[in-house]
Amino acid sequence: MERNTMSYKTKQFLMFAGPAVVLFCMVIVIPFIYGLYLTFTSWDGVSVDKPFVGIANYVSAFKDAYFWGSMGRTIIYSAFAVIFVNAVAFALAYLVTSGIKGQNFFRAGFFIPNLIGGIVLGYVWKFVFNRAFVAIGEAIVGGTVPSLLSSTGGAMFCLILVSVWQYAGYMMLIYVAGFMGVSDSLKEAAMIDGCTSAQAMKNVTIPLMRTSFVTCIFLSITRCFVVYDVNLSLTNGEPFNSSVLAAMHVYNKAFIYKDYGTGQAEALILFLVCAIIGIAQVYIGKKGEVEA
Amino acid sequence: MASLSLKGIQKIYPNGYHAVTDFNLEVEDKEFIIFVGPSGCGKSTTLRMIAGLEDISEGEFLIDGVKMNDVEPKDRDIAMVFQNYALYPHMTVYENMAFALTLRKVPKDEIDRKVREAAKILDLEKLLDRKPKALSGGQRQRVAMGRAIVRSPKVFLMDEPLSNLDAKLRVQMRTEISKLHETLGTTIIYVTHDQTEAMTLGTRIVVMKDGIVQQINTPEHLYNKPCNLFVAGFIGSPQMNFIDAVVGRDGDNVTLTVGENVLTVPEDEKQILLDGDYVGKTVVLGIRPENISDKEDFLANNQDHIIKSKIKVREMLGAEIFLYFDVNGVQMTARVEPDSPLMTGDEATFALDMRKIHLFDKETEKNLLYGE
Repeated sequence: MERNTMSYKTKQFLMFAGPAVVLFCMVIVIPFIYGLYLTFTSWDGVSVDKPFVGIANYVSAFKDAYFWGSMGRTIIYSAFAVIFVNAVAFALAYLVTSGIKGQNFFRAGFFIPNLIGGIVLGYVWKFVFNRAFVAIGEAIVGGTVPSLLSSTGGAMFCLILVSVWQYAGYMMLIYVAGFMGVSDSLKEAAMIDGCTSAQAMKNVTIPLMRTSFVTCIFLSITRCFVVYDVNLSLTNGEPFNSSVLAAMHVYNKAFIYKDYGTGQAEALILFLVCAIIGIAQVYIGKKGEVEA
Repeated sequence: MASLSLKGIQKIYPNGYHAVTDFNLEVEDKEFIIFVGPSGCGKSTTLRMIAGLEDISEGEFLIDGVKMNDVEPKDRDIAMVFQNYALYPHMTVYENMAFALTLRKVPKDEIDRKVREAAKILDLEKLLDRKPKALSGGQRQRVAMGRAIVRSPKVFLMDEPLSNLDAKLRVQMRTEISKLHETLGTTIIYVTHDQTEAMTLGTRIVVMKDGIVQQINTPEHLYNKPCNLFVAGFIGSPQMNFIDAVVGRDGDNVTLTVGENVLTVPEDEKQILLDGDYVGKTVVLGIRPENISDKEDFLANNQDHIIKSKIKVREMLGAEIFLYFDVNGVQMTARVEPDSPLMTGDEATFALDMRKIHLFDKETEKNLLYGE
């Protein structure tokens, strides 16, 4: 059989990559293009008519103070969540790679919260914040103790806390891989060169875990920017819409307030933010790659 | 520079495995000590205990008379070259070499001077800005050496530093290390499983097996007077020939019977066999390949030490020829001159140089002639 002909190569491509390409187009490319088209219409999300309105939806998205307010909250939430998720994940990874007894049990244990769906997680923690912590508080302090979820600052704090609890185990696994990727002989060489444990960590281990840091930081940023499930089940944006994050605002705009076109335009802006973060991750990750 | 003392050193792992048993060694200043032995014999473990990377289970380790058992590696003033070089991949060659000095807060200009001096010795001057990934195996090895040199430590430890290099580069680097030892006059402890490296580099060699020291002596002594069957077989390439021989009497003479070949034992060795009451018993006869000759004049003068066999394989190496043949079902090797006419399949007659034979007790495997 002639292996250099175009028909052979096409058949080969379709055989191996065809199913994946078809699925990718069906669930990603076509919906994306269709969604892009909808940003230029004033569709209400229900009716058959989709009147073309040009860039009006983008203009209203840029003028939507609630959208930018939710975006600001998302940035604040992401900043805190990313810092704490990564700090906790790194500490846990260090702990479960330090040779403690039962480290595999702890690895599995810390990862489990990531396996629980965001909606379930949100309701469980809502119960904990509204009932368990309140009961404990009342038992200690006496009298009536308000739930953390009932104050504006408290709701955001709860969102951050639950996100850290949810994501830290997952990021821990990436840091564990990073720790295990640093050769023991390098750490030993550092010790012989005169490093204390802390100096070896700072000068050798952490620089060599750069890929893990870049992956975890950017992964947690993108996850935080599109968080919806925990936001819905834990706070539902309350109190007084003080915990509405960008993804929730976009959903409400499109499906609650029946302004699909503007909601879709705002979703596209959110997508661009995430895409920029993703591209930055690839660029920064490649730039500082360290090969042994 | 320093002297080292290892007294009754033991390494026992939590599962009860004895990796090193009763290791005793006194290392003089500027000595080049080689730890040699097969894989798993405990040589690297001993080196790592000296470095402080492994705890010493029992015994005492001293540098210049100061006990080091519980001293951190960074405070022992030692430098180590690892098998895989362990260069920091995110640092340049310069930074790798300067790292230890930077940690010790040595002034920058002094660090620079020392790094450039070491780079000059090791011919690394043009590579200082490169990262390890951009270096060849030999260059990485030299950087690892440079990293050790700049610190001017009391002791250099080297853990099979040449084993990742190809054969040609290994020979070249072996010479470099030897020169370096001459230049720096440092105490070096070097681990290898390659007996050629051990023989060519060491002032003294420690031969180990199963965590136990077999013999400690100079390369010449180990080669000529191995204390047991293991050392005799491990040191030398091709290895010493071993064959069972029955000790007998023929009038005043003592003989060794190997199959159909009867060899007369020289006077000195004869007395040892008689004193040890070995007549009628089986001993292991050891003889190095170069002590088996096919030369006419040697055959004529050694008619009492003849063995006959058919050549199975002939290996021409240029400067010498290895001839492989069977005696009493045991394969033996002779190293003969390149002008030897013997070819594969020839019926050959060899004479053994009986002054160079070794006799080992079959049970204890100790050398009856040179046992220590």
